[in-house]
Amino acid sequence: MAATANPVAQVHLGLEPGPFHERLVAHNRQQSWVNWMGYASPSVLDTVEFEYFAIRNQSTLFDISPMCKYAITGPDAERVVNRLVTRDIRKLGLGRVAYCIWCDEDGQVVDDGTVFRYSETEFRLCCQEPQLSWLEDIAWGFDVQIRDVTREVAGLALQGPTSCALLKDLGLTGIETLKPFGIAEFIIAGATVSISRTGFTGDLGYELWIKPADALTVWDALMAAGKLRGLRIIGYEALEMARIEAGFLLPKVDFLSAQTVLRTDRASTPYELGLDWLVALDKPHFNGRRALLDLSKKTPRRKLVAIEIERDKPAHNALVYHKKTRQVGMVTSALWSPTCKRNIAYAWLDAPYGQSVTGDLWVEIYLQKEIRWQRRMARCQLVDKPFFVHPRRTATPPGDY
Amino acid sequence: MSPRYDAIIIGAGHNGLVAAATLARKGRKVLVLEARDHLGGMLGDAEFRVAPLPYALRPEIIKALQLDQKLLHGTRPLETLTFGADGQPLRITGGHVTGTDAITEHDYGALYARLGRQAKVLGAMILETPPGLGKASLGEATALARMALKLRLLGKTEMRDLLRIVLSNVWDLLNDEIGDGPLAGALAMDATLGGAMGPRSPGTVLTLLYRMASQSSHGHGLRVMPEGGPDALVKALADCVTAAGGGIRTGAPVEKILVDGDRAAGVRLASGEEIAAPLVLSNASPKVTLLTLLGVAHLDGEFVRRCRTSASKGMVARLDFDIVEPPKLRGGGALTSGQRLVVAPTMQAIETAFNAAKYGNLPNRPVLEATYDGAARRLSVSAQFAPHDLTGGWTDDAKARLSTSVLTVLDDALPGIAPTVHGTRVMSPVDIEVGYGAYGGHWHHGELRVDQLLMLRPFDGAAQYRMPVAGLYLCGAGAHPGGDISGAAGFNAARAALRDGGH
Repeated sequence: MAATANPVAQVHLGLEPGPFHERLVAHNRQQSWVNWMGYASPSVLDTVEFEYFAIRNQSTLFDISPMCKYAITGPDAERVVNRLVTRDIRKLGLGRVAYCIWCDEDGQVVDDGTVFRYSETEFRLCCQEPQLSWLEDIAWGFDVQIRDVTREVAGLALQGPTSCALLKDLGLTGIETLKPFGIAEFIIAGATVSISRTGFTGDLGYELWIKPADALTVWDALMAAGKLRGLRIIGYEALEMARIEAGFLLPKVDFLSAQTVLRTDRASTPYELGLDWLVALDKPHFNGRRALLDLSKKTPRRKLVAIEIERDKPAHNALVYHKKTRQVGMVTSALWSPTCKRNIAYAWLDAPYGQSVTGDLWVEIYLQKEIRWQRRMARCQLVDKPFFVHPRRTATPPGDY
Repeated sequence: MSPRYDAIIIGAGHNGLVAAATLARKGRKVLVLEARDHLGGMLGDAEFRVAPLPYALRPEIIKALQLDQKLLHGTRPLETLTFGADGQPLRITGGHVTGTDAITEHDYGALYARLGRQAKVLGAMILETPPGLGKASLGEATALARMALKLRLLGKTEMRDLLRIVLSNVWDLLNDEIGDGPLAGALAMDATLGGAMGPRSPGTVLTLLYRMASQSSHGHGLRVMPEGGPDALVKALADCVTAAGGGIRTGAPVEKILVDGDRAAGVRLASGEEIAAPLVLSNASPKVTLLTLLGVAHLDGEFVRRCRTSASKGMVARLDFDIVEPPKLRGGGALTSGQRLVVAPTMQAIETAFNAAKYGNLPNRPVLEATYDGAARRLSVSAQFAPHDLTGGWTDDAKARLSTSVLTVLDDALPGIAPTVHGTRVMSPVDIEVGYGAYGGHWHHGELRVDQLLMLRPFDGAAQYRMPVAGLYLCGAGAHPGGDISGAAGFNAARAALRDGGH
């Protein structure tokens, strides 16, 4: 029998250019790219210090187009989203955004993300990991449409103290009245842009959702208006510093999705992640509810905690000890915070450490000083997140920096 | 709505009746709700039975319900007549066969005895709740340990032999032991009947052992006919329910299982009537129970996925032919009520019939099992393989084609049958699905397959009768140990519910 070859859609090999790639290439002096969901995403364009300080003192642009985005629409959209996430989404107002997590049937976290509510029947889910098959499983049997709109929506994070002023300069009247986690539509350079007051920096900032065809026009308008507001394009590394200060968790770094772990005990529950406040056990059945109900009555087997460490050396990949001898945990994210002037980290601590036992904890830091490695035991203590808090994040209207 | 009942049983199939009787005899106030106008589910429609030929109700259940074993198991098991390409039929009763050469008789007898011993190992689990995956209770673990012990007690040679064959196919096993032919055909028919598998499909030894593990007063692996036919069995079970104070309503289709605060709270009938009870046992298939009656909103996404992807494609059509005189057998004599006819001359014939059905077509020569009911003057035929998803659908034309090909095949065993037929009825898997709450029209509510047995029946996470919504139990053939008329699923489910508190 003769073989028949069906033409297969060509899969792009290597990294894909995103909607802002042309501009990013022009500014990327380091030519330093990382793979973010198949897109070429800058890690550093100039120097990480300039970029970081722009987040906290000026304003910054970061291309978030590679975020996975799903439109969930239809008569049962609210029921499906409420079935997916652990928060009570019925309480989410129109034109509002909520940070959410969702769990598998064992109450283990699958991913986190933000849910945008545009109307009674229209939602959008933004998250790090592809979730289409998961969403289809959750939505099976409901009158709802789920569409991957990742490539239909370009995203830009405009973050920093001067971001509101910059948008006002562009003629976006009313942007100053947009409250945190609010969504509104504006026109920038003739293009309709949906703007949400959300971000990953813990600072004043916005996320702009743009049609890919308008991407470069909007970019150019922002860059032009940003000249006097200190606007700087940033890469992943600077954002990573800000997000640790802001107390946000990063999948694949601070926790693993229950969908990707090989060892079942590597997945995490909301209680272990300290996200109890996101779980509404009193709402109707949602995925993982029964398991979460059981878990909520038990002591978590370990806990992700925020710690502050003595001295100034960041505790990357460090082990945590009790009384300098007993190994009780490990650091996932660490940073010398230039703004807080604190040596901060997130760490997993096995029960009872970090829960009933919180004293006499030490971090083992390895330092390299001109080839020579040194080991330092630094005392650490549990602190509250976030590390960086500033009233301008929530002030409405924001100050005119 | 204050609960007037302790438990509602959805469906008056034999498993539903066994479950109801078990609960009622423990003092629970039960109500059985049956959508159809007759009791007994697939066993019960005297006009056109889905399952005219029961395996035996388990002796342990007969004892627990204090039923009349002699009546239910009949005075002797059915004799199987299996036809080769020519000559006299072989006559089989259990491990005894006549009509073939002495060597085959001996080999068959030895094989039957060995499979019987091996089947007993599986039989150890039939009346137990299968252990939970990863979190078995002590009782469940003990049952599994008992099975392991029985396995070891087979002796080293036979234990190894069981482990060698248990996941393999009946084609290889029977070719090794007795060679292909009408005898192997009859055994392979037992191994495949009701499922979407041919003799060459992996796991068919397991299904054969499953049948071999059925138990009656006459021995294991035998078809029996209650005195008075299937109706006598249904009546005995229904009487047992009512004698213990249980209620039975026919013509009362359940539309929804009611849930309150994540607990089963009762049911709503199609008429709109709501009946409250803290315990609901469903004899409908798992997919119908969970996806339709309960609703996916009460279930986790993964659970729903495993439920909807579990295999339950019906492959058997039922045909009834009205014939005034008992049909004449090839080689002399007539088919009588105590006999079962198998027309599967070789395993190859079964496999060939399966090949067509795999791809949604009707086989040219289906393989058959038939009985003659002298009182109703009716020849009842189960024909496989008749796929639920038949290409072009189950039109009248498709049914007529099937009926013609069945009569052609029957003619080999019952020469001159076609002109004596004065009435024909055909029931497709789609008819079974619509009529009996059996998703896919599957006899066993789900394929009896190694990945859908024991702690994986009907699927992972649903294998211990109790469903995620507290107070809801599966008590039908979809639950462990599965299909055929043994009553074990209903009995086990009721006992699990009682163990959980019985509400």
